[in-house]
Amino acid sequence: MPEGTAFLLLLAITAYSTAGGVDFGAGIWDLLAGGSERGREARALIDHSMAPVWEVNNVWLVLGIVLCWTGFPLLFQTVFAGLYPLFAFALVGLILRGAFFAFRHIADEPRAHRLADLVFGLSSLLTPFFFAASLGAIASGNLEPISPMSIAFGTVSLAATAFSGASFLVGDARRYGAEEMVTYFRRRAVVAALALIVVGTAALATIAFEAPALFRSMIAGKGLPFALVTMVLTPVVGFLLWRGIFRWYRLLTVAAVGSLVFAWAFAQSPYLVPGRLTIAQAAAPPSTQVLLLVVAVVLLLVIAPAMGLLYYLDQRGTLESP
Amino acid sequence: MTSAVWLEIEPALLPSRIQMAFTLASHVLLVPLGVALPTLTLLMEGIGLARKDGTALRIARRWSVVMAVQFAVGAVTGTILSFEFGILWPRMMGRFGSAFGLGFAIEGLAFFLEAIFIGIYLYGWNRLRPRTHFLLGLVLPPAGLLGAFGVLAANAWMNTPAGITFQGANVSDVDVMAALFTRALGYEFWHFMIAIYMTAGFVVASIYAVAWLRGRRDHYQRLAFAVPFTVAALLTPVQLVVGDLSARAIAEDQPAKFAAVEITWQTRDHNPEVIGGLLDDSGTVHFGISVPALDSVLVGYSPGTVIQGLTSFPTNSRPSTVEANIAHLAFDVMVGLGSAGAALAAWHLWVLVRRRRLSESRWFYRLAALAGAGSYVAVEAGWITTEVGRQPWIVYGMMRVSEAVTSAPAAFVWSMLATLVAIYVLIAFFFIALLLRLAARWRQEDLRESATPEVGVPYGPRPRTFSA
Ligand code: HDD
Ligand code: HEM
Ligand code: HEM
Repeated sequence: MPEGTAFLLLLAITAYSTAGGVDFGAGIWDLLAGGSERGREARALIDHSMAPVWEVNNVWLVLGIVLCWTGFPLLFQTVFAGLYPLFAFALVGLILRGAFFAFRHIADEPRAHRLADLVFGLSSLLTPFFFAASLGAIASGNLEPISPMSIAFGTVSLAATAFSGASFLVGDARRYGAEEMVTYFRRRAVVAALALIVVGTAALATIAFEAPALFRSMIAGKGLPFALVTMVLTPVVGFLLWRGIFRWYRLLTVAAVGSLVFAWAFAQSPYLVPGRLTIAQAAAPPSTQVLLLVVAVVLLLVIAPAMGLLYYLDQRGTLESP
Repeated sequence: MTSAVWLEIEPALLPSRIQMAFTLASHVLLVPLGVALPTLTLLMEGIGLARKDGTALRIARRWSVVMAVQFAVGAVTGTILSFEFGILWPRMMGRFGSAFGLGFAIEGLAFFLEAIFIGIYLYGWNRLRPRTHFLLGLVLPPAGLLGAFGVLAANAWMNTPAGITFQGANVSDVDVMAALFTRALGYEFWHFMIAIYMTAGFVVASIYAVAWLRGRRDHYQRLAFAVPFTVAALLTPVQLVVGDLSARAIAEDQPAKFAAVEITWQTRDHNPEVIGGLLDDSGTVHFGISVPALDSVLVGYSPGTVIQGLTSFPTNSRPSTVEANIAHLAFDVMVGLGSAGAALAAWHLWVLVRRRRLSESRWFYRLAALAGAGSYVAVEAGWITTEVGRQPWIVYGMMRVSEAVTSAPAAFVWSMLATLVAIYVLIAFFFIALLLRLAARWRQEDLRESATPEVGVPYGPRPRTFSA
């Protein structure tokens, strides 16, 4: 049963990395869009595609945190006692990002607007980097906040985030018929896919050095299928967008980034912190696990149709006049 | 040992306590409108649908926007809180997470539901049939209720922990029902639910009381004032009764907290009720009004009722004098404001029932305008009573705050605190600026007639076109 809770935790982390990643990625492209004039069109599109999901992805994050402290209290204590600085930075990024995204809608003065853009963009780098860095520190088993592993994971996360952001922005640009923007983000998605391949390879080398056991499991164990999926899908998405084939690319992007997270988690299972803490050691008593699973089932039953309805309304809104 | 000693041994303790108090106190300001405003909005929408009143629908639609903005800021500050549990109190979470965390798991579910249905509600204006829209909105109040239940179950567990079995120092088994429904939940939950509905009512009404004072007296203003104010006015007397029950219950369940709240030094009968006043380290009360034997009468309906004093607990298991004074004054502020609110409510209901109209006295509207801020103060005071009165325990009788605190350097916690204060000031500024802008936009729209107020706010639908 604790394995079930651990899997839920993994799903929450994956949902945050993919759905949140798209959002943070958009922020990164906002940062890179250039000066006020040059970046205007790109920023308008980014603004537009982000507005409806504004910070709603936090739900995944909080769900993960709650699952962690309730289902695996010891993991929560160990990780936070060792890695609190990383979480503090991620958190600061998270708040600043939300605040300044809202602020740029009310900033009328050009200088204030420019400042809001900048803080929004920079904090979009901060949060994915530091959250992923904490996963890297966990994967290394020694919970050092600053280590080759944490930096490697953080960097991969930036590339993956930029990649999913660009890929989804292509979709939004198409939806609004903004041809120029389609090309603009298509190019960026290809570049980001290449970057992800390069950084991912470097990270794998780091893992081979720093955490040989994890590496073995990634190339020959439980992590392998997922690692393979990422390695295949990333170039495929890059290729599709390069050739302008607008099919499946968003789904494949999510699959690529999601299986990256799965590759890490499955490679280190049954450890929560390699060499230190297993799922069984950290697990809360069975009755607590049961409640968590019940909550998860209810969540699924209730949330799935509700999300569907929201999505339907969102899509319909663009077709119909009020 | 006393708090002064712990503060010296654990240098991170002071900034951690300040940070927790600061972020919680900020978050809880967003809760009343986040949870209770949906109900008021639906009530207004219901009135609009039943009476085919376009004005009521317009009010409901605007309130729904405010509710979404509130919820969005609540989500950000709430996310911070969840990390703080780990950053500031890792040892508490490691030891008790499996029991304390249960409430939050339920809360997580509730917030998920609320986030999605707020989205649906905002998107649904004019896209769904009015009845369908209203019915889908009905998910929001129970979702809010469930969320509040989760948080309060966690808080009540800290006050009256139950449902756990130890094996050595570790929790080996959890009785889920016993850990969720602890003794303190009974009073905390109802008292809190009423508090947030009262607060939402008074706060929303206070805005239209100001409009009245500025000379706006149309159907829109009357309706938007009368509905929330009446809801709050009906709840206020109930709150006094429930609050009184809470006080009596903590006299039994959390006697050290009760001694602090009443600044009772020595265990005695004929215990006086001290209003205001400060306790010093020798047990003498300075200033304040003392009503002989009233406290004993309130608790046990007889002057002979014996009340436990602070000195009946070891110094390392009871609030310090400073903490007792804080809890006591906070309690007096809460009770004072509750009584004032009840007087104002009586005025409103009297005029409403006798004359079948709203009051036309300037003084009434002046006080009504203050009632919003007063409710926020009462809510904060109530939490201070609960939290400071529990000191030095983080989990009553099981773990002291000093045993739970992080081993991070104090300098780290101080810098994080400073950063958070700066960021919260910023958020507060943006938040208020956004609300003011919305208000200004609506005033302009009242002159024209368009209005899709929910476009472009958090959780709201995207504008139909996009332009650079
Ligand atoms: C509109 C707000 C409001 C008003 C008018 C009152 N309260 Fe209150 N009170 C709260 C809002 C609140 C609160 C913020 O909701 C608290 C904090 C924790 C909780 O569960 O409720 C609270 C806590 C709280 C506690 C502590 C419970 C505990 O520690 O477990 C007591 C004893 C009272 N209240 C008693 C009263 C009395 C005797 C009141 C009036 C005669 C009163 N309250 C009015
Ligand atoms: C929103 C309402 C709340 C407010 C305004 C509030 C206020 C406070 C205050 C003033 C303190 C500092 C006490 C002191 O150091 O003397 C405190 C401490 C604390 N509260 Fe609350 N509290 C609230 C609700 C909660 C809830 C719901 C929880 C957990 C479920 C909680 C957990 C804590 C913890 C862990 C501490 C730190 C330890 C301590 O100092 O007691 N609080 N809170
Ligand atoms: C019931 C009405 C409330 C609303 C609408 C509200 C709003 C929120 C939101 C939106 C979150 C973030 C959850 C997420 O993003 O999924 C949150 C978390 C939190 N809230 Fe509140 N809040 C409420 C009540 C309270 C109260 C009364 C307290 C404390 C006294 C409190 C303490 C917390 C804490 C400690 C967290 C972090 C833990 C967690 O997310 O589970 N909340 N709140």
